[in-house]
Amino acid sequence: MDLNRDLHFEVEQFYYREARLLDDREYQQWLALLSEDICYVMPSRYVAQRDHALRGTEAYLSPEREMQTETASDLPLREENYFVLAVRVDRAFKPTAWGDNPPARTRRHVSNVELLGCEGDELKVVSNFMLNYSRHGQDNFLYSGQRRDCLRREGGSFKVASREIILDWNVITAPTVALFF
Amino acid sequence: MILSDLDRCVSGDGSEVYRRVFADEAVFALEREHIFGKSWLYLCHDSQLKKPGDFITTYMADTPIIVARGDDGKIHASVNSCSHRGLPVCRSDSGNAKRFVCPYHSWSYTVTGDLASIPQERHTCNGRDRAHLGLKPVPRLAEYRGLVFGSFNQGIESLDDYLGDMRFYLDSYFNRFPAGVEVLGEPHKWRLRANWKLPVENQLGDVAHGPYLHATLLGDSPAVPEIDNFGHNCVPKAGHGAAVRLMPANAAPQDIAWGLEGMAALSGDPEFLSYLLEVQAQAAEKIGPIGARIKGLTYGVYPNLSFLWSNSTLRVSHPRGAKEVEYWSWWVVPADAPDSVKTLLRSNFTHMFGPGGLLEQEDSESWMQQLKGSDISYMDDRPLYYGLGQGEECGHPDLPGLIGSSYNEHYAREFYKRWREDIASGMREGG
Ligand code: FES
Ligand SMILES: [Fe+2]
Repeated sequence: MDLNRDLHFEVEQFYYREARLLDDREYQQWLALLSEDICYVMPSRYVAQRDHALRGTEAYLSPEREMQTETASDLPLREENYFVLAVRVDRAFKPTAWGDNPPARTRRHVSNVELLGCEGDELKVVSNFMLNYSRHGQDNFLYSGQRRDCLRREGGSFKVASREIILDWNVITAPTVALFF
Repeated sequence: MILSDLDRCVSGDGSEVYRRVFADEAVFALEREHIFGKSWLYLCHDSQLKKPGDFITTYMADTPIIVARGDDGKIHASVNSCSHRGLPVCRSDSGNAKRFVCPYHSWSYTVTGDLASIPQERHTCNGRDRAHLGLKPVPRLAEYRGLVFGSFNQGIESLDDYLGDMRFYLDSYFNRFPAGVEVLGEPHKWRLRANWKLPVENQLGDVAHGPYLHATLLGDSPAVPEIDNFGHNCVPKAGHGAAVRLMPANAAPQDIAWGLEGMAALSGDPEFLSYLLEVQAQAAEKIGPIGARIKGLTYGVYPNLSFLWSNSTLRVSHPRGAKEVEYWSWWVVPADAPDSVKTLLRSNFTHMFGPGGLLEQEDSESWMQQLKGSDISYMDDRPLYYGLGQGEECGHPDLPGLIGSSYNEHYAREFYKRWREDIASGMREGG
């Protein structure tokens, strides 16, 4: 794959379609956009102690130092495979999914799509998102973050082969991060 | 509030709780003084502070606290607020430090809270006794099986007495493993528009909501009939609680052993099973034959520590006024388990609990909705009903405390009776 305008356009269209499916609660169709070996991780972001040995360098401020990922001694917010995501999709369509009954109104805005590189049929892409989440009454919340994806070329489209969701929060101030990002 | 109003807050037998108890800022002010100010409050697990200089920051209710291991090897706790103008002096969640330097005028403190230096001092001549200018210490600290507690109450009873027979239930997990347990990583932290007591009572013994609120996942889970057959709600001492299954003496070890619920069981990992059997083989020796047959669900230690055994997480409900709570949730695992076992237990935690949990998303929603029902003045004459199973709790030949079925709400009646008594006695002492 060449990292050209056409590919960029195609990736953006893929993300817009994905966002529309999720906002329209068509989660079963969304699930079909994921590869079955997907690794879906949401690190938590704690307030790490500064490493003064790094001062004066960009590493001193690197967000990577704040992340709790899926390494052996860290605690991410979520680390899921296809099966768990399928369980979440399945849950959503049951009347006893009380956290989503009535279902929330959501609106996802995807932007800053940047193709970082490709290897074989896999593409590394980062993008930003804003997600407005409105439950019943006045329970309105705004999520902001970054997605770091590996997209795999499949037929005429892509599948999400891995996704890391970087939320811009230390303490989570929305009632849940159990939705689909 | 006047003392006689307290009887209205919680009925004599604990079966009725006035709704405003969950929504009134005046009630929270009393809780802060007479409950959080007087009780043992959970701070951290001692595995989080391995070396001298290691520290974590946390809260006791809404008071910011630094907990650190000093050069003396002991754990110390002090309030994270500079003696000069009050700024927090420690600005990270955890780490290792020699000194905390306050940003405003660079006063510095040792990790255990002693004043180390005042840079302005060399330009001035008045000198106050430095001993009074350190960070204010938490006067009492104690540890039980690695769980570190602090209290603002200098005269509080020993932690052992405070826990009473809750120690038997705590031992059943915290003393079960060959090398003890450890807390790994940083806790999940999230804020909910809910009263702090809702997460607490949920974990204290509210097994009854499981198959219903969580019907999408637990509706036909084998855990449910197991709970019906072997489940008990245990109240070793008012305010504490343990929801457990006491498995039959002839049950297969893998059916007894801890934490196999959910995903970990589904995975069928042979390493998991062999570690589990290894643990179970030595358990009775450490915690007795009854302790070894216990398969825990949820625990609560008064006032706001919870332990969700089935999903490997310790949690604290930090109040933020009456109408908001900051809930913290740590990952706890057997220290000597292989990494593959630890990460399986971690997914069994994060898939189900925490702010992204499949199960907990329904709980958070319920706790937030409960607040809406607690703030309706027309309902002041309709307290909330906590009477399920009333009078059915009794002694048990093997388990300490008052024991009821998994659907008996005595864990909550006892909690709210103690809550009322603590506030009442605090108010009496206060004149
Ligand atoms: S406020 Fe801390 S040094 Fe002045
Ligand atoms: Fe629950």
